Amino acid sequence: MRQFIESVKIALAALWANKLRTTLTLIGMIIGVATIIAIVSLITGMNQYVAAEIDQLGATTFIVDKEGIITSEETWWERMKRKKLTVEDMNEVAAACQGCEYVGGREMTMRKVKSGNRYVNDVFIMGSTANFPQIVNFEIEQGHYPTEADNEHRRPVAFIGYDIMDELFPGMSHIGKVITISGQEYTVIGNGKRRGSTLGNSHDNYVIIPLSTFEKQFGQRRSLDIFVKARTFEGIASAQDEVRMTMRARHKLKYADADDFEIFTAGDIMSMWENFSRGAFIVMIGISSISLVVGGIVIMNIMLVSVTERTREIGIRKAIGARKASVMWQFLSEALTLSVLGGAVGILGGIAVGQGLSALSGIPMGIEIWSIVAGILVSGGIGTVFGVYPAMKAARLDPIEALRYE
Amino acid sequence: MLIKTENLWKTYNMGGEELHALRGVTFCIDKGEYVAIMGPSGSGKSTLMNLIGCLDTPSKGTYQLNGRQVASMNDDELAFIRNKEIGFVFQTFNLLPRATALHNVELPLIYNGTTAETRIDLAKRALEMVDLSDRMMHRPNQLSGGQRQRVAIARALVNNPSLILADEPTGNLDTKTGVEIMGVFDRLHEAGNTIIIVTHEHDVAQYANRIVHIRDGQIEREESGRKRAA
Repeated sequence: MRQFIESVKIALAALWANKLRTTLTLIGMIIGVATIIAIVSLITGMNQYVAAEIDQLGATTFIVDKEGIITSEETWWERMKRKKLTVEDMNEVAAACQGCEYVGGREMTMRKVKSGNRYVNDVFIMGSTANFPQIVNFEIEQGHYPTEADNEHRRPVAFIGYDIMDELFPGMSHIGKVITISGQEYTVIGNGKRRGSTLGNSHDNYVIIPLSTFEKQFGQRRSLDIFVKARTFEGIASAQDEVRMTMRARHKLKYADADDFEIFTAGDIMSMWENFSRGAFIVMIGISSISLVVGGIVIMNIMLVSVTERTREIGIRKAIGARKASVMWQFLSEALTLSVLGGAVGILGGIAVGQGLSALSGIPMGIEIWSIVAGILVSGGIGTVFGVYPAMKAARLDPIEALRYE
Repeated sequence: MLIKTENLWKTYNMGGEELHALRGVTFCIDKGEYVAIMGPSGSGKSTLMNLIGCLDTPSKGTYQLNGRQVASMNDDELAFIRNKEIGFVFQTFNLLPRATALHNVELPLIYNGTTAETRIDLAKRALEMVDLSDRMMHRPNQLSGGQRQRVAIARALVNNPSLILADEPTGNLDTKTGVEIMGVFDRLHEAGNTIIIVTHEHDVAQYANRIVHIRDGQIEREESGRKRAA
């Protein structure tokens, strides 16, 4: 132990004496470790974010739609050809499903929203059933959501998000005001709580109108997304089966035919995301490993230079009584100190980069202790692996030759 | 008897040709002796010094240092013996350039596991012995040649070795400083240290009380140093 501290001290002194060289040597290691830390932190943060987002759907809610989660171009082409889901489908599901507490529906488009000479481009226009806030976790701030009666009478009423309020009615009341979407006027009846933005996408950029009003103005060619809330968490599977049976019957599918619609839960979206982020994680770790290996090779190179430069010193130390192991340990601990130093700087850099990206994108960042420990271990491991050869070279030097070295 | 060699041979293989640097050297050195090994370049005196200093092992023959058979030891055993029994003083000082005088003197103690406090203590005492107490925190490049050599001597002394082995210790110094350094060796000898100086300079050899002349890998003759004799 005493010798270890002694070696680290000698190593630090040697590294300090060559500050510029030390810095340049460490860049590869720093970048490698920083990348890993930043990636791990961001992916962890993303996971937390996605989990929170999906949580909004609710644990007992599932979605029935035409496309499901598209993971490849072929499935997209194939699923585009499917029969669209309709309000009639939704109504029959609602009537037939015992395990379903609520059955609602939603259609979406993107339009420009105007009021007087102010306007907002690319707003999500959502036609939804009145029970939608009961199905997903959706918080109303002022006024009310479009009601059953609004839907029945296809009333031109609109429930809006904060972006629309801020843009069209800055500093004034919005309830009862009129907005125009594609030439049709709507009366504002309420607004949702502010939800903020992620990755530059605002979650407050919406106008919700009754589903029937939506279909009247924008047509019925869109497929309806049916949102179902099961009565209990345990009952999700049987509720899904009921819905599946109803939909298969409506689509007159034979026993052997596959479903021509998709049913998925928040959990499915989550595991889908996790698969994706795991893939991204592995790819990114692979890429940053390359820079770690390069960092290791640079360290080996600089250690070889160091051994050659200090041949005389090695000779002196050996003449004075340093054993092979002492010399070996001296250079190995120098490589180790060098690489762990790089690792530590890399960790700090990675956290800084992660924090910066997090501030820019709005994704929260999760610093994982294990990733910091792994950063130190990996950098130390690389220092050891790439430091062994130069250290062995130093330990094997013949003291007479080494003392004579000019 | 401190050193006892018998029929020492050292043979180098130079591109298939055998080169005998030493051809059967037999001699003894007692504790407390001051011996100069003299010879022209190529005489084998450096080879002999390397063997005596346990930096190398002979091809043939035996070497007993302080009762221990050294000839057949491996590298680490030799390192241990060098640390314990021998203090080296080199022509080119061979100090660590980035370390202070104090740290340079401490160095041998690091390799035998002496604790830090004891180390600093012993190193300071050794530097006092060579009159360098006021230069302990200086680096070699802040010291004169004579001072550097005195740091090297302090380093050789610090472990209280049974033998101080100096290789042309005045070779890189001017005459005046050389005399000063030889004065330090005199004092060490008077204090009871065993000293071997390897040199090709007559004047330097005269400080010893015994001069061994080497030529062509063999002991040519022995004489006593004039200064002592006188």
